[in-house]
Amino acid sequence: MKTTSIPALLRSIASDEPGRVALREKEFGIWQETTYAGYWELVQVAGMALRALGVEPGDRVAIHSENRLAWVVTDLAAQAIQGVSVGLYPTNPAPEVEYLLGHSEAKVLIAEDQEQVDKALEVKDRLPNLERIIYVEPRGVRTYQDPILMSWDDFLAEGKRLYEAEPDTVTRLMEGIDPESTATIVYTSGTTGPPKGAMLSHNNLLWTADQARQIIAGNNPVARPELLSYLPLCHVFGRLYDILGALAFRATVNFAESIDTLVADLQEVQPTYFPAPPRIWEKMKASVEIRMADATRFKKLVYGLFMKVGHWQADRVIKRGSRGIAGSVAYAVGWIFLYRALKKKLGMGLCKQAVSGAAPIAPELLRFFMAIGVPVYEGWGMTETSALGTVNMPGDVKLGTIGPPLEGVEMKLGDDGEILVRHPGVFKGYFKNPEATASTIDADGWLHTGDVGEWVGKHMRIIDRKKDIIITAGGKNISPSEIENKLKVSPFVKEAMVIGDRRKFVTALIGIEFDTVANWAQRKNITFTTYRDLSEKPEVVDLIKREVDRVNEDFARVEQIKKFRLLPKELDHEQGELTATQKVKRRVLEDMFADLIEEMYR
Amino acid sequence: MRGRPNLYTSYEADGAIFPTATQKVTFWLGVAGMVALPFLGLSRVWLILLATTFVAAIGAIGLNLVTGYAGQISLGHAFFLGVGCYTGAALSGDPGGSVIGMGLDMLIWLPAAGLVAALAGVIVAPVALRLKGLYLALVTLGLVFLGEHIFRNWESLTGGGGVGRKPPVLSLLGWRFDQPGAIAGIEVSKEQQIYLLTFILLLILGFAAKNLARSKVGRAFAAIRDRDIAADVMGVNLTWYKVVAFAVSSFYAGVAGSLYFATTGFVEPASFNLLLSILFIAMVVIGGASSIAGSIMGAAFVTLLPQIIDSTSDFLPLIGDGSAGVLSPAQFERILFGLLIVIFLIFEPLGLYGIWIRVRNYWKAWPFSY
Repeated sequence: MKTTSIPALLRSIASDEPGRVALREKEFGIWQETTYAGYWELVQVAGMALRALGVEPGDRVAIHSENRLAWVVTDLAAQAIQGVSVGLYPTNPAPEVEYLLGHSEAKVLIAEDQEQVDKALEVKDRLPNLERIIYVEPRGVRTYQDPILMSWDDFLAEGKRLYEAEPDTVTRLMEGIDPESTATIVYTSGTTGPPKGAMLSHNNLLWTADQARQIIAGNNPVARPELLSYLPLCHVFGRLYDILGALAFRATVNFAESIDTLVADLQEVQPTYFPAPPRIWEKMKASVEIRMADATRFKKLVYGLFMKVGHWQADRVIKRGSRGIAGSVAYAVGWIFLYRALKKKLGMGLCKQAVSGAAPIAPELLRFFMAIGVPVYEGWGMTETSALGTVNMPGDVKLGTIGPPLEGVEMKLGDDGEILVRHPGVFKGYFKNPEATASTIDADGWLHTGDVGEWVGKHMRIIDRKKDIIITAGGKNISPSEIENKLKVSPFVKEAMVIGDRRKFVTALIGIEFDTVANWAQRKNITFTTYRDLSEKPEVVDLIKREVDRVNEDFARVEQIKKFRLLPKELDHEQGELTATQKVKRRVLEDMFADLIEEMYR
Repeated sequence: MRGRPNLYTSYEADGAIFPTATQKVTFWLGVAGMVALPFLGLSRVWLILLATTFVAAIGAIGLNLVTGYAGQISLGHAFFLGVGCYTGAALSGDPGGSVIGMGLDMLIWLPAAGLVAALAGVIVAPVALRLKGLYLALVTLGLVFLGEHIFRNWESLTGGGGVGRKPPVLSLLGWRFDQPGAIAGIEVSKEQQIYLLTFILLLILGFAAKNLARSKVGRAFAAIRDRDIAADVMGVNLTWYKVVAFAVSSFYAGVAGSLYFATTGFVEPASFNLLLSILFIAMVVIGGASSIAGSIMGAAFVTLLPQIIDSTSDFLPLIGDGSAGVLSPAQFERILFGLLIVIFLIFEPLGLYGIWIRVRNYWKAWPFSY
C-alpha cells in the first residue's frame, strides 16, 4: 500500500522494527528511551484523546513548547486523525500567541509549562475557538482552577482508555487521508508584517521526507543514525530533520534539554547528521577560539600548526573536490593530534554530514569546519518550499553558493534576478490569505522566493533578500548580508546590521557578543558592569574597529563600512527586535536606533 | 552507549566501574599480567614483598573507606589491624600450645578476624558520633595506646612482648597454601601460592569496596564527609552510616592484619603502634584519598619503598647501617615518609591518584586546557 502521510511512515517502521529506539528524552541525567512501537502507540493514544476533545478532520491543534516527546507525538497525532498541526515558538510573547492562535483558529493547545499556559490564559477570552489547553509540565499549574486546563497525563489516560476500546480508529482515519489536504501550518516569522501561515500538504511533507532520506542519509548511510533535536520544531529546518528525516531514515531523535545545554548535549549525543543555522556555527568557532586563547603554550602551538594544515587540505578539497594523497596523509596526522579530539569536544565526533541553512553563512566559517574535518554543507530552502531547494553535496562543493538544485527541483532566475522554484514540495498557499498566496505562486506554479541570486556554473549563489538590497546614493547595489556575515565571523560580533540605502556611504550597527568580549576584557583587566557599559568602553570600540577594518579589506571601496556604532543593548525576540528565528528586524532597529544612525551621517 | 560513552540510558551505565570496553579490557589484561608475574622467575623475597603489598592495600582500602570516603579521621587503624591479627592467630592456632588456639580452618578464621575487628569498630563508632576532626583523631590515637598495652601484656593471646606466637595457618579446606603443591599439574611454591591468594583476596575486597563506594552507602559517606549537617538535612542517617563506615573499615583492617601475620610469619605485639597507623595514613594520603585505585598505589609505594631504599643504600651517600652512614635505612625511610606526607598534603592533596588524574585531564581536555 502506498504511504500517503507521515504518520503512516511511522506505522510502517513500528511494524518492521518495533524495538528500534525512536526517541530519547533526558530525565534526571538519564536518557529515557521510547521505541518505534511505543512512539506509534503514543501517537494513536494522543490521536484518540484529541478526537475526544472534539478535533475533527481539518481542525487545527496548536503546540507551544520546546522540543520534546509531547511535541512530536501531538504533531503526528493531529495529522493522523486528519487534523492540522500548528507550532508556536516558545519565545512568542502573549500578543503573538493571541495572533497565532486566533488566526489559525486552533481548537486545542498543547502548552509546555506554566509560562506558556499563562500566556494562553491571558488571551483566551479573545479566542472563541480555543476549547482546551493541555499542559505538559504540571509544576506551578496544579493549583490553577480554570476548567479549560487539562494535564498531559490525564489527556493520555483518556486517550488510552478510548484507544483500548477502539484500537483501529486512528489507523482508519489515517488511511483515509487525502494526500493533497493540509497536514500542518507553519507560520513564517517574517521580518515585516504579521506572520503568514504556510499550509503544507501531506504530499509536500512526504516529498521532503523522501528527499531528506536521499540527500542526508543516502550519501552517508549509518545503521543507527542519531539526531539531536534542538532546532525549534515549529520551523521547517527543525522539522526536516527531527520528524521528516528521522522517520525517513529511521533515526533516533534525542531531545536537547534546552538551547543553553546544547554544548553538553552535543557531547553526549554526538549526532550522525546535524543541521544548524550560521549562528550555531559562529558560536562553536568562537568557543574554540576563546578556549584556545586560554590554553597552554604547547597546546596553542599544536593547534596553530594543525589548523594551518587543515586549511591547506580544505582548500585542496574546495579546489579539486578531494584531498588527494598528500592531503589525506596530512589530515590523518592532524586527526591524531587535533581534529579527533576537537571534533569530539564540539559533539561532531561521529558527524557524517552537517548542513548549514536558514540564513546565509560566511564562507570562512565553512572553511574552518572543513579544516577540522566536519563536513558542513550549505543548503537553501524556505518554509514555502517545505524546507528544501538546493544543497552543496559531498565532492561538489562551491563555497559561497547554496549548491545545485536538488533532483526534481526546477529553478530559474526571474527578470529582476529573483530566484523562482517549482517542485513537489512547494506549499499549497497561505492560510486565509489568498492575496499573499497569489503574489507568491504564479499561474504556472513557480514560487517567487524573494531571494535574488545568480548562477555560478550549476550552483546558485544568493545575493540577498530582494527587499534588503541596498542601493547607495551613488547608485551602487550592495548586498548587506554578505558584509554582515563576514562581520559575524568574528567571535566578538553577535549582531550586525549594515545600513546605506539611499545614503552617501555604508555604515553599520554592531552588537557585541557579550560572553566573548567579557572574557577578552577580563584578560585585558578592563572592568565593566553591564552589557551597555561594556559596549561603551573605548577599548571595546577599538576592538570592534579592528574587526571592521579586517572585513573592509575584502570589499570594494563603496562597500566598505565607513562608520559604525555599537548597540547599547542585547537584541531580544520578546522586545520585538528579533524574529523568533533570531533574525534582525531591520525596520524596527532603524526606528529604534534612528538617533545612532543619523549621528553617523551627520 | 557504544561509541557514545557519555550518553547514559540507565543509572547502571552511569555508575559503571568501567565506563568503556577499552577500560575493562585494559584492567583485565593487567590482572592477567599480575597473575602471570610469579611464574616469571621472581625471587622469593620479592614474591613475599608483593604479597605484603597486597595485604597492606587491603588495609589501606579499609582506612580509605572511613577516612577518605566518610571523612572520619582515624589514627586507630593499627589497633584494628592488631585485633584482626590476633583473632586470626588464636582461632587458627594449635589447641595444645602455650597460647590460645582453636585449630580452625581459614574459612572460619579469616572472616572471623574481620568480624571481630568490625565489632571493635562498632564499639568505637559512637565516639565518632560526638566528635569530629582533631578530637576524633585524638580519641582514636588513645585507642592505639590502649591496644598496644593489651597486646603487650595479654601473653596467653599474643605470646607477650619480645616472644610472640605462631602465625595463623593458611589452610583452606585441607589445602595448604604454605606448603609447595601442584595446581592443575603445575608445581607451585609456597611463595607463589601466598602471592596468588593475597592477590585474589585484594581483587575481591577491592571490588567490594568499589561497589560500596558507588552505591547509596558510598554516596552517604561522601555526603557526611563534605558536610555532615547538610547530609543530616538531606535525610542521611548519620549514626547508622558512621557506624557502618567504622565497621567496614575495621573489617578490612582485621582481614589485612591476620593475612599480614600469615604472610610475613612473624609479628611483634608492640608493632601495632602509632607508627603503623601513620604508615597507613601515609598510604592513603600518598595514594589518594577517596580512591580505591589510589589506596593500592599508596600501599605499593609505602611497602616497596623501604625495599628499594634498602637495596640501593649501598649507592646512597650517608645512608647505611652502623659505621657506613649517618642515617640507617630505617631512619632515612621514616624521614622520607614524613617528608612525603608533608609534600603531598601541600602540593598534591589527591595523592598519586591525583597526579594520574591531572595527567589524564591534560589529555582529556586536549586541545583545550579546560
